[in-house]
Amino acid sequence: MSDPDAYIALISSLPGSERLFVAKQPPLSRLRLDRRLTALTPEDARVLKVLEQALNWSAYDMDITDAQAVQRCNQALAKIPQPTLRSLFLERMDLRTVVAALRLRARGGNPPSGTYGIGRWSGHIPANWGDPDFRLSVPMPWIKDARQLLEAEDPLGLERLLLSVSHKQLKRYAARHLFDFEAVAIYVLIWNIFDRWAQSNAQDAATRFEKLAQQAMANVAEFDFERVSA
Amino acid sequence: MNELVLTLGWLGIYAPMALGAASSAIGCSIAGMASIGAMTETDGGYGRFVGVSAFPSTMVIYGIVIMFTLNRDVTPENAGGLFGIGILSGIALMYCGIWQGRACAAAINATKEKPEIFGLALAPAAIIEGFGVFAFVFALVISAGIS
Repeated sequence: MSDPDAYIALISSLPGSERLFVAKQPPLSRLRLDRRLTALTPEDARVLKVLEQALNWSAYDMDITDAQAVQRCNQALAKIPQPTLRSLFLERMDLRTVVAALRLRARGGNPPSGTYGIGRWSGHIPANWGDPDFRLSVPMPWIKDARQLLEAEDPLGLERLLLSVSHKQLKRYAARHLFDFEAVAIYVLIWNIFDRWAQSNAQDAATRFEKLAQQAMANVAEFDFERVSA
Repeated sequence: MNELVLTLGWLGIYAPMALGAASSAIGCSIAGMASIGAMTETDGGYGRFVGVSAFPSTMVIYGIVIMFTLNRDVTPENAGGLFGIGILSGIALMYCGIWQGRACAAAINATKEKPEIFGLALAPAAIIEGFGVFAFVFALVISAGIS
């Protein structure tokens, strides 16, 4: 167990994680966050880096195989000694395994033989491939919404739902850690969710802008310029 | 044997002071670190943060008063009583000081985001102070029965 008072000054110097989601401007840039994180001990900084890289999609190659991804997660897990962070990591992997299975089935993929993905549901999912929610609607109540968004081909909506579920998971763990290393790691993971949330909002804004621009251009195309000039 | 008993008696006299000082030092440092962190994030209200971080310093004052109350000639007859009251009140003050520091740190961390909850956020620290006062007052009451 980590020292409960290890990072009091560091945690107190960070804006509240709730403020990340309501602020119009990001209250803390990655640059500033990294500067504050220099207060971590080398060992804690290494664990945080492992955790972030294992959970960050951009750290994975596009052509990585399932087996490679699972191996990478297991390697990361072996380097994380804190029980809370291990539990949090495995819970996120459960979420990713379920979503990957939903995507595979939506693409018409065959039921995997043996186990699929990583975590406690890896054997359960192939065994319940025929059920719309893999018989996981009780432990994972969001799975129905995720499946519907996937079927409706709404990737942005699905992304937001998954970010929201991940955020709730992290807040649940955060309630038990105030000033220890786990609290710092959870804060950084919430910051990453905020970052992706902000990016998805920007993408939403760009899509809407494109639609409006097309609408405006369509009106311009119908406009009779010659008559106006005459 | 008598020497050991007398030593325990002297230990009991000084324990509330020593443990109270240790608890105040730890508690103030915990709350102080939180106030320093909060100062880097906020634009005002620094004095309030520093004031809150000094809350656990009351434990050493209680410890000093208990020490003076217990201070008397140590005899084999009263050494056991002095040891029991001194050590146990000291341990109680130590726990109160450390946890009050943590409660103050949490209050400082919360009020940097929401200054309007400043008073309410201090309620846990005030309740812990109450427990420290219990340990202090009843140590005085019980010590009156020691010859």
